[in-house]
Amino acid sequence: MNLRESLRIGWRSIVGHKLRSTLTTLGVIIGIASVITFMILGGAFTADVVGDLDDENEPMMSVVTQTEPDAGTGVMHVQSPIYTESDVDRIESIDGVEWVAPTGSLSPVQLTHGDDSITGGFSAQATNPAPFEEDGLYPLEEGETFSTEDEAIVNLQAARLFDEELSADDEITVTFEDGSTENFAVAGVADVDLGGSSSNPTVYVPLDAHYTVTVETPRDTRERGYPSLLVKTESIEGLDSVQDDVEAYLESDSDAHELKADDHEIVAQTLDDLVEQISGIVDQLTIFIGGIAAISLLVGSIGIANIMIVSVTERTREIGIMKAIGARKRDIVQLFLVESVILGAIGAFFGVAFGIGLGYLLVSWIGWPMAYPLDWIVIAVGVGVGVGVVSGLYPAWRAAKTDPIEALRRE
Amino acid sequence: MSVHEPGTPGETATVVAATDVRRTYHLGEPVHALDGVSLSLEEGSFTAVMGPSGSGKSTLMNLFGCLDTPDEGTVEIDGRSVTALSGSDRARLRGTEIGFVFQTFNLMPRLTAAENVTMPMVFHDVVDEDRRARARTLLERVGLGDRLDHAPSELSGGQRQRVAIARALANEPTLLLADEPTGNLDTETGAEIMDLFRELHDDGRTILMVTHERAIAEHADRIVHLVDGTLDEIEEVRGSKAASGRDRSGSEGSE
Repeated sequence: MNLRESLRIGWRSIVGHKLRSTLTTLGVIIGIASVITFMILGGAFTADVVGDLDDENEPMMSVVTQTEPDAGTGVMHVQSPIYTESDVDRIESIDGVEWVAPTGSLSPVQLTHGDDSITGGFSAQATNPAPFEEDGLYPLEEGETFSTEDEAIVNLQAARLFDEELSADDEITVTFEDGSTENFAVAGVADVDLGGSSSNPTVYVPLDAHYTVTVETPRDTRERGYPSLLVKTESIEGLDSVQDDVEAYLESDSDAHELKADDHEIVAQTLDDLVEQISGIVDQLTIFIGGIAAISLLVGSIGIANIMIVSVTERTREIGIMKAIGARKRDIVQLFLVESVILGAIGAFFGVAFGIGLGYLLVSWIGWPMAYPLDWIVIAVGVGVGVGVVSGLYPAWRAAKTDPIEALRRE
Repeated sequence: MSVHEPGTPGETATVVAATDVRRTYHLGEPVHALDGVSLSLEEGSFTAVMGPSGSGKSTLMNLFGCLDTPDEGTVEIDGRSVTALSGSDRARLRGTEIGFVFQTFNLMPRLTAAENVTMPMVFHDVVDEDRRARARTLLERVGLGDRLDHAPSELSGGQRQRVAIARALANEPTLLLADEPTGNLDTETGAEIMDLFRELHDDGRTILMVTHERAIAEHADRIVHLVDGTLDEIEEVRGSKAASGRDRSGSEGSE
């Protein structure tokens, strides 16, 4: 019997039991739809966090300290002021390094502009003017980098904290945890986009005048210590070798190496590394949740097998007739296998459609960019058809070994 | 596909033969359903098999229909031994050489009359257009030319049996096997179906029919009596029915 004929007969039998076929495929539809939806959510989340960082690597890296958290997976950044003044000087002298901007976190509590005051919800960082210079890392929307100690840069998010957006030359006041206040003139507004963590409202102030943390170095001197460094290289091509050099220095005779806690690790991260790290974590999560969703796919396949067995039992007499009029075992197997593959394929088709639809709705509702997990769509279709084959094998085999004499005797 | 011409008297060839077949079922105690039966069917012959229930009628039918194989003895169809064939080849043979007509019609409930008739050709990989054309011809032959697209549930018992007969003829079988073909029909409809069988016989078909009704059996040329799995006697029917059938041999296709 040719395939077209079994497709036609199988399809008739499916259409002949509309409700039953619908309920059967529903299991596969839900399974595949949920897998696809989670993969879209995962992909969209990654795309949102990573954003256009993916497109181009910047000739920069940030030197941070990280550790493994006590609970959960992934890595945690640690804010220990282990990078000393001498470390900064040494790194600056490495071939290919353009500049090093140490970054220190301050503890602000209030941000005031005119009569308007913002309490909490923003951070203040002390750094060099270098990152905000022309052709620097963070393009300025307006104004220029700070040049005196009572000037500051705000990022777009901080500027928008006020009803009347902050712009260059506005006066702001920052109140710190210890009660002290400092007045700044806004020198510029910067568009800082370094992935999710940097998009908090932040005020950048000059390092020398406002950062006071010092540590005792291994050489028994007191120096300023910074929790992280931003390193700009002269070219994107030299980035990898400079990264190796910086890491090599920090891992050998740096102060930071001596000062860091034993279970902490110093890393020099480029944007590529950051993207990779974030995607890695999201992927793990996505696969974990997708795995749970895949269980419903298994349940769906059991549903198909179940209904095919019922169908075989119900049609024993028909199978007997077909055998009596010349159907071979392989014809019967083909007939039932084709039917269950059609069920699986229909499930896969609607599952993918619903999955993409639901994923799209959720993603647009949350406001993430849409992602199409093409590989997972291909996998889902393959699995759907595979589920049809696997769950149809046993029922088809049972049908094929039906004894026509017995079958025809049944009423 | 070969067309069976009416056999010339005196030169008939044996097309199906069972030789000393035995079939034993082991249901606790061995039951000898057939205990050494030999029966050959000549081309164009019409044979009825009678006997009380349990006499082995159905078993003989299943053996001739290639649904079953004998424990001992041989069954030959067109000179080929069925016993030696694989299951798949036997299924093939069933589709091309045997046409079944059952007491309970056994049509596929979801298929139309025409589709039911095409089924044996589907398993035999006949081209689609040829199948449709042949189904139409066959249904017209059994007087159902206007019922092609009706489902079995929309047809009367007599009409369903006609569809079944058309289906049995689909692949031009060597042997037409009928198992109580009038068992589920009233007397009048049964008589019409028997007229159809007579016509097919007159066309030169080889027919083997199982029945327990004497009146139905007398439509055949001879009646084989089975008792307890053995052949009791072969009775030649010299009645008016056979003779009248011969007389009407020119009226092919008319109702």
